[in-house]
Amino acid sequence: MITLLTVGIQSGILFFFGVVVVLIIFWIFWPKKGLIALFSKIKMNNQRVQLEDALKYLFDCEYNKNLCNMNSIAGNLNISDDSASQLIERLLVLGLVTMDDNTISLTDTGRSYSLRVIRVHRIWERYLADETSVAQADWHNEADRIEHFVTQEDTEKLAAQMGNPVFDPHGDPIPSIDGELPEPKGKLLSNLKKGVTGRIIHIEDEPRSIYEQLVVEGLYPGMQVYVTDVDKGKTTFIANGDECTLTPLFASQITVELLSGTVPLAPKYELLSSLAIGEKAEIAGISPNCRGQQRRRLMDLGVVAGSLVSAEMKSASGDPIGYRVMGATIGIRKTQADLIFVHKKNDTNE
Amino acid sequence: MNDNHLKERENILSEANKARWDLGIDLHDTVIESIYEDASRIARKTVKQKGEKAAYALDLRIDKIVTSRWLGFPIMFLLLALVFWLTVTGANYPSGLLASFLIDYMHPILKGAAASIHMPWWLDGVLIDGAYLAMAWVIAVMLPPMAIFFPLFTLLEDLGYLPRVAFNMDSLFRKAGAHGKQALTMSMGFGCNAAGVIAARVIDSPRERLIAIITNNFSLCNGRWPTQILIASIFIGGLVPAQLASVVSAGAVVGIAVLGIFFSLVVSWGLSKSVLRGEASAFSLELPPYRPPRIWQTLYTSLIDRTIIVLWRAVIFAVPAGIVIWLVANVHIGELSLAEYFIQWSNPFAFVFGLNGVILLAYIIAIPANEIVIPTILMLTVLITGASGVGAGTGVIFELNSVGDTANILHAGGWTLLTGLNLMLFSLLHNPCSTTIYTIFKETRSVKWTVVSTFLPIVLGFMVCFFTTQIWYLFFV
Amino acid sequence: MSNSNNCDNCPVHNKENLIKLGLNMEQVDYVITMAGNPNTGKSTVFNNLTGLHQHTGNWPGKTVSRAEGGFIYNEKRYKVVDLPGTYSLLSTSTDEEVARNFILFGQPDVTVIVVDATRLERNLNLALQILEITDRAVLCLNLMDEAKRNNIEIDERALSKELGIPVIPASARRKEGMKELLAAIEEVAAGKYVCKPHKIKSRSIKLNNAISSLASKLAEQFPNLPNLNWVALRLLEGDNSIIEAVQSGELGSINAGDSTVQL
Repeated sequence: MITLLTVGIQSGILFFFGVVVVLIIFWIFWPKKGLIALFSKIKMNNQRVQLEDALKYLFDCEYNKNLCNMNSIAGNLNISDDSASQLIERLLVLGLVTMDDNTISLTDTGRSYSLRVIRVHRIWERYLADETSVAQADWHNEADRIEHFVTQEDTEKLAAQMGNPVFDPHGDPIPSIDGELPEPKGKLLSNLKKGVTGRIIHIEDEPRSIYEQLVVEGLYPGMQVYVTDVDKGKTTFIANGDECTLTPLFASQITVELLSGTVPLAPKYELLSSLAIGEKAEIAGISPNCRGQQRRRLMDLGVVAGSLVSAEMKSASGDPIGYRVMGATIGIRKTQADLIFVHKKNDTNE
Repeated sequence: MNDNHLKERENILSEANKARWDLGIDLHDTVIESIYEDASRIARKTVKQKGEKAAYALDLRIDKIVTSRWLGFPIMFLLLALVFWLTVTGANYPSGLLASFLIDYMHPILKGAAASIHMPWWLDGVLIDGAYLAMAWVIAVMLPPMAIFFPLFTLLEDLGYLPRVAFNMDSLFRKAGAHGKQALTMSMGFGCNAAGVIAARVIDSPRERLIAIITNNFSLCNGRWPTQILIASIFIGGLVPAQLASVVSAGAVVGIAVLGIFFSLVVSWGLSKSVLRGEASAFSLELPPYRPPRIWQTLYTSLIDRTIIVLWRAVIFAVPAGIVIWLVANVHIGELSLAEYFIQWSNPFAFVFGLNGVILLAYIIAIPANEIVIPTILMLTVLITGASGVGAGTGVIFELNSVGDTANILHAGGWTLLTGLNLMLFSLLHNPCSTTIYTIFKETRSVKWTVVSTFLPIVLGFMVCFFTTQIWYLFFV
Repeated sequence: MSNSNNCDNCPVHNKENLIKLGLNMEQVDYVITMAGNPNTGKSTVFNNLTGLHQHTGNWPGKTVSRAEGGFIYNEKRYKVVDLPGTYSLLSTSTDEEVARNFILFGQPDVTVIVVDATRLERNLNLALQILEITDRAVLCLNLMDEAKRNNIEIDERALSKELGIPVIPASARRKEGMKELLAAIEEVAAGKYVCKPHKIKSRSIKLNNAISSLASKLAEQFPNLPNLNWVALRLLEGDNSIIEAVQSGELGSINAGDSTVQL
C-alpha cells in the first residue's frame, strides 16, 4: 500500500515536472513573443540601427523637398532630444550630414549611404510581399528589422532572383545599385481638384495606423480614382464604383498619377466569388493584393483580363469552387476568388 | 576598345533600368496580357467548337457526382478503403511466400554454405545473420504491399480521380493551413512515407509542400501496420473475451491510424501558424479531364518509379543496419554484450516514458526500416531474458508465427498493457525511417527541414508516452 | 499532311526510318528540345520518339528534372531534351528559368512545342513566348482524339500560317502523328522549312518604344543576335541571366543560323 502511494506521488511529481518542461520549450520557441524572439529584438536596438534610420529619414525629407531638424529626427525615430543630438553629433563626425542653422542635410556620402539602406529596405519589402506570407501590415516593420543586418551581397542575390524589381510593393521606386532614383511623380490625392481622373501610384506606409486603414478601404497602387467632390479639405472620389471620402490627413498619404484626356470611368467590377454555379463572367483583372507565386499561377491558368470564366461545380465541402477558364477546370478557394475581379455576363451566348 | 564595349553594355542596362521606372509597376501583367490577347485572336481564327462538348459534358456529369455534397465523401472513403483492403489482403500471401523463401529456406542454405567453406563465425554472423537477414526482412515485408498499393494508387491518379479527392478535402486541410493535395500525400504515406514525401511534389506551393512533407510521418506506414496489429492483438485483444479480441484489436489499430491523421492535421496547423508562417503560399488545383488509364503502362511505370526506387533505398539502408544489429547483440565487453549495456543503462530513463531499454535500442538500430523493429525487439528481449529455444540463435533477429509465443516472450521481458500501449503510440510518433529522412533531404534540399521532420515526431512521441504513462500511474496504480 | 487514324503512320511501321536510341546520345547531328504546358502529353511524345519510359500521368507537374534521350531518323542522329512542363516562360520560378535559358543559350536546332488541342488558347500563351525566343520550332497539336470527342475543330493550316511554323496534329497516346512530326522536325532542323515565327502585336506604344530603343542599342553591341526585341523585353523585365549575359558579352556568342551545339 505504501509503495503504491509513493508511486502515485512520484508520478504526480514527474507529471508536474513534464508539464513545466513542455511549457518552457514553448516559451523558448514561441514565435514573436518567445525567448529567442525577444533576444533577437534586444540585439537589434543598437546605434547602427538608429544611425541608418536617421539617414533614411533625412533622405525622405530631401526627396520630398522638406526641411529637417533635430526635433523632427527625434520625433521620427521616437527618441529623446538628448539621444537625437548625440546621434546628429555622430553623423557630423562621420561626415554623413551637414548642419546649417538648424537645418540638417545629407552630404554626398550620406546620401549614397542612405540610398543603399533604402535599396535594401525596399527590396526586402518587395521580397516579403511577393515571396512570403508575411502580412501586408508587417512588411515595413519586418524590412526595417532585416535591413540593418543583411549584407549587400545577400540582398543583391535576392534581387537577382526576383528579377531585379524596380518598385517596392507600395509603388515606391527602388534605387539602382549606383544610387539612381527617378524624380518623384504624381500629385497627392489631397491636392487634386474636382473632376480629375488619375491612377494611384503610391500609398505611404508610415504612420502604420493610417496605412492599415487605407488598406482596409481596399485602396492599392494601380487603382483608378475619379475625384467627385472637394469640400472643406475633404476629398471624395470614386474608386471601383464605390464612393470614398478621405480627410486631408489620409488623402495626403496617397500619390496619384494624373491621366490625361477623357478617360472612361472604369466600370464597377464584382468579385469572382460572387458567381453562382452556372453563371458566366468576363475577367476584369486580379487585385494587386494577390501577389507573387499566387498571382503568377492564376495568370498561367488563364485568369487574365478579357478571358471568360464560369463557375462549374462546388466541392463536397463547399469551398474551393471549380471554375472553367480557357478550356480547363481549376479549383479556386474563396479567399482567392475574392481577389479576382469580373464583369458578370447576363446572356448565356458567348 | 574592350573597355568601350563594356561601358556601352553597362549603358544599355542602365537605360533599361530607367525605362522600367517609367513603364510602371504592372509591366509584367501587361506583357502577359498582350500575349494572351494575341493567343486569343489566333484561337478565334483557328478553333471552331461544333455543337456540344461531348466529353466535357460527361466529365461534368461525373464531377457533379464525385464532388456532390452527399456522395462525394462516401465515394472517396469507399474507393480508398477498397485500395487498402486490396493491398492488405493481396499482400498477405506473397509476403508469406517471400518470407518463407528468403528467411526460412535461403537463410539455412546460406548458413550451410558458409559453414562448408569454413567462414569465420563472426563474418558469417555479420554477413548472413546481420546484413542478409535484415535485407530479406525488408524485401519480404515491404515489396508485396507496395507492388499492389502503388499501381492501384497510380491508376486512380491516371484516371483523374485523385485531383477530385484533393478538391473535396481542401476545405478541411485549408483550416489546418495545408493544401487539399495533402490528402493524397497522406494516403500515399499509409503505403510508404518516403513515397508520400516524393508525392508532395504535386503541391506547388512552398509552404503547403513543406507541411505535407514534415507531417507525412504521421501516416502510419505499411512497415508499422504489422507492429500495431501484433501488439494490439497481444495486449489489447487480450483484455476482452476471445471472440471479441480480433474486432477490438483491429479497432485499436484503426484508432492509432486515426490518431495519426489527427496529429497530422494539428501539427500542420501548428506549423503553418508558427515556423512556416512566413513561407510563401499559393493555391492552385487543376481538375484535369478524366482519361481512361493505360493499365500496362501504369503498372510498369509505378513499379519502376515508385516501388523499386523506394525498395532499393530501403535495402541500401537495411544492409548496414543489419550489420549493426548483429554487432551490438554479439560484441561483448566483459560479461555483457553492447546491447545489454545499453538496455541496462537506458532502462530507468525509458520507464519514465512507459517504454523500456529494449524498445529504445530497437528503434535506434532499426532506424532504416520499421519492418525490422519487431524482429529486433524479440531478439533483444530473448537476449536479456536469456530464454532459449526460440529464434535462429543468439543475437539473430527473428519473428514467430504464433502470436501466443510472441506474447510469452514479451511478458517474460516484463511487458505490461501500458508498455504495449506506449509502443503502439511510439511506433506512430517517432522519427521517420532513414529512407524517409534521406528522401526528405533530397526533396527539400534543406538540412533545417530534414532535422525538423526528424525530431518533431520523436519529441511529440516522448511527450505523448510520458503523459500517458504518468496519467496511467496516477489513476490505475 | 493527312491526319488518318489507321496505323500506317505509326512509327513501328517505319522501322527503317526511326531507330529509338533510349539514352544513347553520342555524336548527335541535331539537338531538339520539347517544351509544353504540364499535362499535355509531352512526356508521351518524348517516350514515343526515344523509346524511354518517362512517367506520364494525368496530373500536372510530373517531369521534375530535365530528361534526355535520343533517336535516329533518316540516318541523322537526334538528341531530345525534355524540358519541365511550364505554363509560361516569363516568371522567376526555377522550372521556367531552366526552360527559358535552355531555349536561348542551349540553342536547340528545333523546339517542339507540345500543346493540348482541347485548350489551344491557353497553350498558345506558352507557344507564343517560345516563338519570341527561337525561330526554329514545330507545334505538335497533341490530344487530337480528345479534341474530336469534344467536337473541337482546328484549322491546322490557318494556325500554321498564323504562327509561321509547321503544325502537326497528333494523338501521342495512340502513337498517331509521330511520323509527320518527325518529318517536320527534320525539315526545320535541316533548314528546308524556314520558319517565320509570330511576334506579339498587342503591346502598348510606350512599351514598344522602350523595346525598340533598347533593341537598336543592343544591335550595335550584338550584331548577330536573332531575337533582339525579346532580349530587350527581358531586360525590361529584369531577367538576371539576360542581364549577366549582356554584362559579360556572352550574349554575343549566340548567332543566328548557328547549329553547332555544345552541351
